[in-house]
Amino acid sequence: MPNIETLALLSIGLPWAGALLVWLVQDRKPPLQHALAVIFALAGAAAAIAMIPLKTDVNVLHFPLGSAFGLVTFLPDGLAVFLAVVATTIGSLAVIFSVDYMRGERQLGRYYAYVLFFIGSMVGLVLSSNLLLIFVFWEITALCSYALISFYNDDPKAVSAGIKALIITQVGGIGLLAGALFLYAYQGNYDVPTFLAGAARLPPNVLALMAFGFLIAAAAKSAQFPFQTWLPDAMEAPTPVSALIHAATMVNAGVYLLARFYPAFEAVPNWKLAVVAVGAITALMAAVMAIVSNDLKRVLAYSTVSQLGYMVYAIGTGGIFASQFHLLSHAVFKALLFLSAGAVIHAVHTRDMREMGGLGKQMPLVKVVMIIGGLALAGIPVLNGFWSKELVLEAGHEGGPLWAWLFMLVGAGLTALYTLRFLSMVFYGEPRGGPHVHDAGPAMKIALVPLALGTLTTWLLAGSFGHFLGSALPEGHEVLGTAALLTRIATAPATFVALAVVALGLAAWWQRSKLAGVAHALRGVGKMASQSFGFEALNRGVVRLTVASAESLRTTHNGVLNWNVMAILVGLVVVLAILALGGA
Amino acid sequence: MNPILALTWLLLLPLVASPIIYLAGRTSVRLGATAAPARWLSALALAAAGVPLWFVGKSVLASGPVSLSAGAISMRMDGVGLVVAATVMALTLLVSVFSIPYMRGEEGEEKYYALLVAMAGTMVGLGCAGDLFNLWVWFEAMAVTSFLLVAFYREQRGALEAGVKYLVQSAVGSALVLVGIAIVFAQTGTLDLQQVLATAPRPTPPQLLAAGALFLIGFGVKTALVPLHTWLPDAHSQAPSGVSAMLSGVVIEAGLVAMLRSLGCLAPVGATWGAMLLAFGALNMIVGNLMALRQTQVKRMFAYSSVSHMGYMLIGFGVAVGYGITNGAAGGFFHLLNHALMKGLAFMAAGALLYSLHIARGSHDPLTVEDLNGAGSRYPVTAFALSVAVLALGGLPPLSGFMSKWQIFVAGFETRSLGVELLVIFAAINSVLSLAYYAPLVNRMYRHEPSAVVAAGRRVSFLMGAPLVVLTLLVVVLGFWPGLVDFITHPAAIHLVSIFGGSAALAQF
Repeated sequence: MPNIETLALLSIGLPWAGALLVWLVQDRKPPLQHALAVIFALAGAAAAIAMIPLKTDVNVLHFPLGSAFGLVTFLPDGLAVFLAVVATTIGSLAVIFSVDYMRGERQLGRYYAYVLFFIGSMVGLVLSSNLLLIFVFWEITALCSYALISFYNDDPKAVSAGIKALIITQVGGIGLLAGALFLYAYQGNYDVPTFLAGAARLPPNVLALMAFGFLIAAAAKSAQFPFQTWLPDAMEAPTPVSALIHAATMVNAGVYLLARFYPAFEAVPNWKLAVVAVGAITALMAAVMAIVSNDLKRVLAYSTVSQLGYMVYAIGTGGIFASQFHLLSHAVFKALLFLSAGAVIHAVHTRDMREMGGLGKQMPLVKVVMIIGGLALAGIPVLNGFWSKELVLEAGHEGGPLWAWLFMLVGAGLTALYTLRFLSMVFYGEPRGGPHVHDAGPAMKIALVPLALGTLTTWLLAGSFGHFLGSALPEGHEVLGTAALLTRIATAPATFVALAVVALGLAAWWQRSKLAGVAHALRGVGKMASQSFGFEALNRGVVRLTVASAESLRTTHNGVLNWNVMAILVGLVVVLAILALGGA
Repeated sequence: MNPILALTWLLLLPLVASPIIYLAGRTSVRLGATAAPARWLSALALAAAGVPLWFVGKSVLASGPVSLSAGAISMRMDGVGLVVAATVMALTLLVSVFSIPYMRGEEGEEKYYALLVAMAGTMVGLGCAGDLFNLWVWFEAMAVTSFLLVAFYREQRGALEAGVKYLVQSAVGSALVLVGIAIVFAQTGTLDLQQVLATAPRPTPPQLLAAGALFLIGFGVKTALVPLHTWLPDAHSQAPSGVSAMLSGVVIEAGLVAMLRSLGCLAPVGATWGAMLLAFGALNMIVGNLMALRQTQVKRMFAYSSVSHMGYMLIGFGVAVGYGITNGAAGGFFHLLNHALMKGLAFMAAGALLYSLHIARGSHDPLTVEDLNGAGSRYPVTAFALSVAVLALGGLPPLSGFMSKWQIFVAGFETRSLGVELLVIFAAINSVLSLAYYAPLVNRMYRHEPSAVVAAGRRVSFLMGAPLVVLTLLVVVLGFWPGLVDFITHPAAIHLVSIFGGSAALAQF
C-alpha cells in the first residue's frame, strides 16, 4: 500500500496523465479516447479513496518551488480527503456518463483532456496547504471551466458564457490573490496550517482584508451574491460538465475555502455576519429565479446557487459540519439531477421545459432517479437532502440572526415549489416530445444508478463523517454518532417548522390554478428575477464602459507623427515638473 | 576558457559574423543561387556564440562581474548583462531558424540575416556597457539595425510608414539621452557608470535630476513607456514576424535595461525613480490592455499587449528601485525572460499562420482575428502553441507568465505600503482584462467551421514549427518549476538592487 504522499500525488497525477494521453491519442480514435478517460478517472478515484484510512493532520511532501513561491505541501486531513473523494468519484461518474452523451461529438480530445485536467486540479486545490498553490489550482479550475463552457466554440452563446464565467471568477479570485500575497508579506511563507494556528499574530486590518478578500473570491467561485450571473449562463456547457464542475465540485471550492479558513477569520469583526448575509440573500434570490425559469438546466443552476447559499450560510453561523454534510448530500443529488437532465435533453434535443412533458412513460428509469434527486433537493424525509438541510437550518437557528433564518426557511419552501414544478413539467402532463424519445443509454445508467443509491443512503454516514472531519471542524463542535445526530435532527422543533414550510411549497404548486391571482400579482418580481435582479444589466454596463473607454482612447492614437513626437516632449516636461516640485 | 577572452568572443562573434553572412549570401545570390549560405551561417554564428556565453555566465555566477577594457571602452558583464545576453541569444537563434522558411525568396534576404545577427550582438553589448557613452553607442547600433528590419518590406507602404515613425521617434529619444549624458559629464567629469555613482555630488543637484529625466524619457521611447509608445504598434505589426518577436521580446526590454543602467548611476534619487517607474507601469498596463481590446489584427493586438507587459516589468523594477525589494527585480527579470519566450512564441505562431494563410499565397493582407477561425483542425501544433502563448500572457497557471507576474506581485506586497498594494491589485485586474482579448482567440481557433483562408492555407514547415515546440515546452516547464531560472534572475536582481541600494526612501509613503 503506497504512503499518503504517493497517493496524494497519484490522485492529482493520474487524471492529469489521462488528460495528456487522451490529447495525444488525437481525435481519430474516439473509442480509445473514451476508454482512456474512464480508466484514468477511475484510477484517480481509487487513489483518492485509498487516502481515506491514511488521512493525517500534518503537512506532507515539502518540495521547493523557488524563492518567492514556497514549498509544495499537501495536508490530507479529513476535509481535504473528503472533497478529493467527492471530486474524483463524481468526476468518474460524469466521465462514464460522457461516453454515451458525447458519442459522435468532435474534438473529444479537447473535452476529455480538460475534464481530466480539471479533476486533478480540483484534488490539488483541496489537498494543498500552500496558499499560492491553492491559488494556482483555483486558477487552473477556472481555466478548465472556461474551456468546457465554451466547448461548442461555434455557438456564440457558449463562447460569451465561457468568457463571462472566466472574467467574473477571475475578478473574484483577486480576493484570494491578495490574501495569499498578504500572507507571504506578513508571515514570510504561504503555509496554511501555520496561519490557521496563529492568525492572531497578523495585524488586525491585514487579517480583515484577507478575510473579506477570501469571501469575495469564494462568492465569485460559488456563484453567490453578487457574482451569481455566470453560473446560469454556464449551462451552455455539455451536461456532464455542468454536473461535475458547476454542481458537484468547482463551485464547492468557494465553500471549501470558507470552511478551511473559518478558524482564522471567525474573530474578524462582521466577517461572520457578512458570510451569513451573502449565503442567505443568495439562497432566497436564486430560489425565486428558479421558479420563473423555463430552461431545465437553468433551473438546476439556480438551484445549485441557492443550495450553495445554504452551505455558505451554515459556515457563517459556525456550522462547519452542517455545511460540509450538506455539501456531501448536494454533490450527490445535484450530480444525479444534472445527469438525469442530461439524459432528458439528449433524448428530446431541447432544454426548454415547455417543450417537454409526459416523458415519464418513455423514460422510466430517468423519471425514477430524477424524482429521487428532486425529493432530496426539496428536503423530503428520509433522503440525504432532508437530513443535511435540516442540520443547516438548526445550526443557523442557533448561531445566526433570525432574519437570515427566516430567509432560509422561505427558501426551503420555494425549493420545494420549484422542484415539484420542474418534475411535473418534464415528466407529467401532455406529452409534447416527438415519437423518438428513448430512455438513457447503458453508460448513462451506470452513472445514474450509483448516484441515486447514494442519495438514498449517504445520510447514514453522518456520524462517521463527523469523526472523519475531525480536526477540520472548529473547537467546541460536538461530534455525535449517527443515531444520536439523526435523532437530534428528527426531534428538533426547527425541523417541524421547516417541514411545514416545505409542505406549503408543495401545496402551492399542486394548487397553482387556485393561486393564479397571487402569481399574477407577483409577476413583477418574476420579471426582475429573470433578469437576475438587475445584475445582468450591471454586467452589461461594465462591459459597455470598458469598451467605450477603449474606443475613446483610440482617438489619442491618431498616427500623426507630429503628435507622437509632441507626446515625447510633453512626457519630458511632465517628468521634469514632477522632479522640480517633488524634489529628490 | 578565460572569462575575459570569452566575453571578447561573445561580443565580437555576432558583429564580425554579420558582414560575413551578408557577403556570403549576396555572393550566392549574385551567382544565381539562393541566399542559403546566409541562413545557415547566421544560425551557426548564433549557436557558436552560445559557447563563450556559457563560459562568461559560469564566471559571472561564480565570482561576480567580468570586466573588459579596450582603451577608453569599458565593458562589464554582471548578472543583469547575463540575463540580457542569455535571453537575446536564445530568442535570436530560434527566430533565425524560424525565418528560414518565412523569409525564403524575399528580396534582400541576406541582409535580413546579417541585420538579425548584428542586432543580437548589439544588444549583448548594450547589456555589458560600462560607461554611459558606450551604452548609448550600443543602443544606437541596436536601433539602426532594428530600423532596417522594421522597414524590411520596403515595397509596402505600411512597413515604410512604420519604419519612418519608429526612426523619427527613436531619434528624438536618442537625442534626449545624448543631452543627458552631456549634462552628467559636465557635472561629474566622468562617464563610467560606477564612477559617476561614486562621485556624484550629494544632495543631487537639479542638473543631474534633469539628466535623469532625460534618460527616463529618452530610453523610455524605446521601452515603450506610455505616452511615448505610439511607434510600437505600427513597427511590431509591420515587421516580418521573426523581427516582431525580437522587437517585442528583447529590443524593448533592452531599452528598459539601458534605462535602469543609466538611472542607476544617478541612484541617490532612487526613491523618485522608483515612484516614476510605478506610475508609468500603471499607465502602460491600462493603455496597452484597453487598446489591445479593440484590435482586429492579431499582430497589432500583440504589439499593444507588449506595451502592457512592459508595465508589469516596470512595476517589478519600480518596487526594487524604490523600496529595495529583491523579489521585485528578480520578478522583473523573470518577466523579461518570460515575455521574450511567450511573446516570441505568440508572434512566431501568428507568423506561421500569417505565412501559411497569406504570404505563401502571395497576399500582403494582415492576419486578422477572423482568419484564426477553425485553425485548430488544420494547424494543430501552431494553434496549440498560439493558445499556450496567449494564455500564458494572460497570466493563467500552470504557465510561466503567471509565475513571473506572481513574483512581481509578491514584491509589491512585501513593501507593506497601501499604495503599492493597490497598484498590485490594479495589475491583477489588468491581467484579467487582458484575458478578455486573449481568450476569444483561443475560442476562434477551435471552432469547427474554418475560415476561408484556413481552408485554403498551406502547410507549416518543420523549421517554422520546431521553434514553436521548443518555446511551448519552455513556457510550460517554467510554469511548473519557476525556480529553474532563480540561478540567473537572483544574481541580476541583487546587482540591480545593490546599485540603487540605500534608497528605501519611498517606504515612508
